[in-house]
This record gives sequence, C-alpha cells and structure tokens, in this order.
Amino acid sequence: MMPKKSPKVIVDYSKCGDGGSKVDPRDCGKCLRACDPAILLMHETMDIRQDPYDPQIWRITAVWLNLCTRCMKCVQVCPVGAIAVT
Amino acid sequence: MNAKNYSNELAKEMNIAEYETEQWRAFEQVYIRKIMGISSIDVGYKLQLPIIGRVLRWNAEKMIHSESKNRNAVRADGHFGQVIPLEDAKIILGNLAAEPIIENYCMCRWMQRGVKEACCINFGVLSGVIEKLPRFIPKNNVYRLDRDEAIKRIEQHNRKGYVASVWFQPVPYINAICSCENPECGGLRLRQDFGLNSVYKAEYVAAIDPDKCQGCKSCVSMCQFSALRYIPSQERVMVDLRKCFGCGVCRHACKNDSIQMVPREQFPGLQY
Repeated sequence: MMPKKSPKVIVDYSKCGDGGSKVDPRDCGKCLRACDPAILLMHETMDIRQDPYDPQIWRITAVWLNLCTRCMKCVQVCPVGAIAVT
Repeated sequence: MNAKNYSNELAKEMNIAEYETEQWRAFEQVYIRKIMGISSIDVGYKLQLPIIGRVLRWNAEKMIHSESKNRNAVRADGHFGQVIPLEDAKIILGNLAAEPIIENYCMCRWMQRGVKEACCINFGVLSGVIEKLPRFIPKNNVYRLDRDEAIKRIEQHNRKGYVASVWFQPVPYINAICSCENPECGGLRLRQDFGLNSVYKAEYVAAIDPDKCQGCKSCVSMCQFSALRYIPSQERVMVDLRKCFGCGVCRHACKNDSIQMVPREQFPGLQY
C-alpha cells in the first residue's frame, strides 16, 4: 500500500533568502521557531560563489514534510508572506 | 571507553582533519544534498514506500555506520553517536578527550531553530577544524576550555535539561560531546521520527523507587523522550523503559532522590 502523501511547504526564494531578497533567514528565523515539530531547515545554498568557510547566502527548505500538521503557523508568522502550505 | 578512539595518533592515521573540514564546511547541507539522486527531503514518506523504502533504509544505515576507506564526508558517512549520562561525560572530558577542547555553537539548533547556543563540546582534531569556521564560534570568542571548565559546562547543560551524547566522526574516532534536545538534534530526529540508528541509547535506563517517589511530576517535564508519565491511580511516576534513552536528565528534577540509573542489560528485551 502506498503511504499517505505529505503536505507541501513551499518557500518563495524571491521573497526570502538566496541573498537577493528582502529577508535573510539568518536574521529572521521566525518560521523556524514557530514550527512545533521543527520541519523547516535553514542551510547555506550550494551556490558555487559561496565562501566555503564562511557562506553568506542562506535559504529555508522544509525537510521533514511528513511531520507537518498543516497548522499554518509558519505562514502566519512570515513577515514577507514567502511560505505556502498545501 | 577505549582511549585509543580519542587519540591524535588515530586521527592522523585516519586523516581525520581532511574528512572533518569537508564535513563541517557544508554541515547544514547534509539533508538537502542528493545522495544517489535522493535527498532527505520528505524522507518520512520515502522510507514508507514499498520496496524502495526498504532499500533506502538499508542504504542509510550502511552510510551511517560506514567503516569503509573512501567515506564521503559531505554526507557524514560513519557519523553516529550514543546518549550518555552525566557521569560518563565527565569521565570522558576529564580523562579521555584529546586537547584542545572547545565549546562552539550547536549547528543542529542553528539549522532547525535559527538560534546560536554554545553547548557543543568538541575536542581533538575537530577543534582546529571548527576554529576556521566563523559561524560556529561564539561571539564573545571564549571557546577554548580546559578540562575542569568543560566538565562544569556539561553539567550546566545537563541540569538545564539537555541530553549528553558522544559522537563518532567518523567511526571509530570520537571527538564530540553534545548537549542535545529532541527533535532539533539531527541524530535524535533520525532515530525518533524515522527509526534510523543514528544515535544509540545509553547503557543505562532510569528506575524510579516507588517508595521514595512522591508523585510531584517534576521529572516528567524534563524528559526529552516522553518516557516518564504520571499515573494518577498510583500517585507516582512510572518509566516507559522502551522509550527511555538513559540520559539521566530526569534525576536533576527529583527532590526525593528517587531516580537511579540501572544497567540496560538487566532488561534483555530492551534495544540500544
């Protein structure tokens, strides 16, 4: 039997992270702290321009998706409306 | 506790510095990196798939416990740990850990909560590796510890409620004692939510003396693993031994000294 599909949590990187947008997740991090099961992950991008010892371009990715309860706290707390949960 | 596993000679022989530099430079990428075309994103779903899920689980366990010569550092091959009670952590830091000893920001909590908390005690070759990475170095720049300071710090973390754990990086070289919480810790996450053996339980379990326990419930709030629960009809707290990791953190909350750590091997039905 196929397992139940996990919720989808999509982050719009034109609004948050990736260096070019308004918000640096390292300064904000509100969604990370709002999520009770901590399914979101902050990480440096694999951009080859990164300084390997001190990366400056960061983004948020939802990793542990099957633990998402669709409580929508991350959507509500995001100051730039970058997160969508479906 | 094998002293050789902490030694600089072993580190040199295994070329640890190179492995750990590569691993730590890209530490936060470990879950988004594709390994043979598959990343950890939504790994809970992937592991439940018929056939594919079983192959993935087998492969993940093989990676976590890999002892092969050509281990891949960026996917942290051979990096796993074990929960230990405070007493054992003190013995390691006081006697076995190779110098220099440093205390740096916990990268798991940084990845998962965006907070920087200096509570990971690393030693040996890894100290030199982390010193080159500014994001892990505490702001006040005080991160080198002597043995007594390290013991004092691990006791503070443990009393606060963090679980002490010792880590291979990679097996058999040991160079870290972390103070973890669940579910932020990457290792505890994989074990608790996905059943992968990235962290082993301690050699002990908690045992509550039913005569001493007054049923104040203080210990219940300390347990990171939901192994303690208050039983109203008995007016005392009981331990779910299958859930207990044997970290001993609950003892700090007990006012009646009713919790003892007993060897896990006394209960042959329990897993490590």
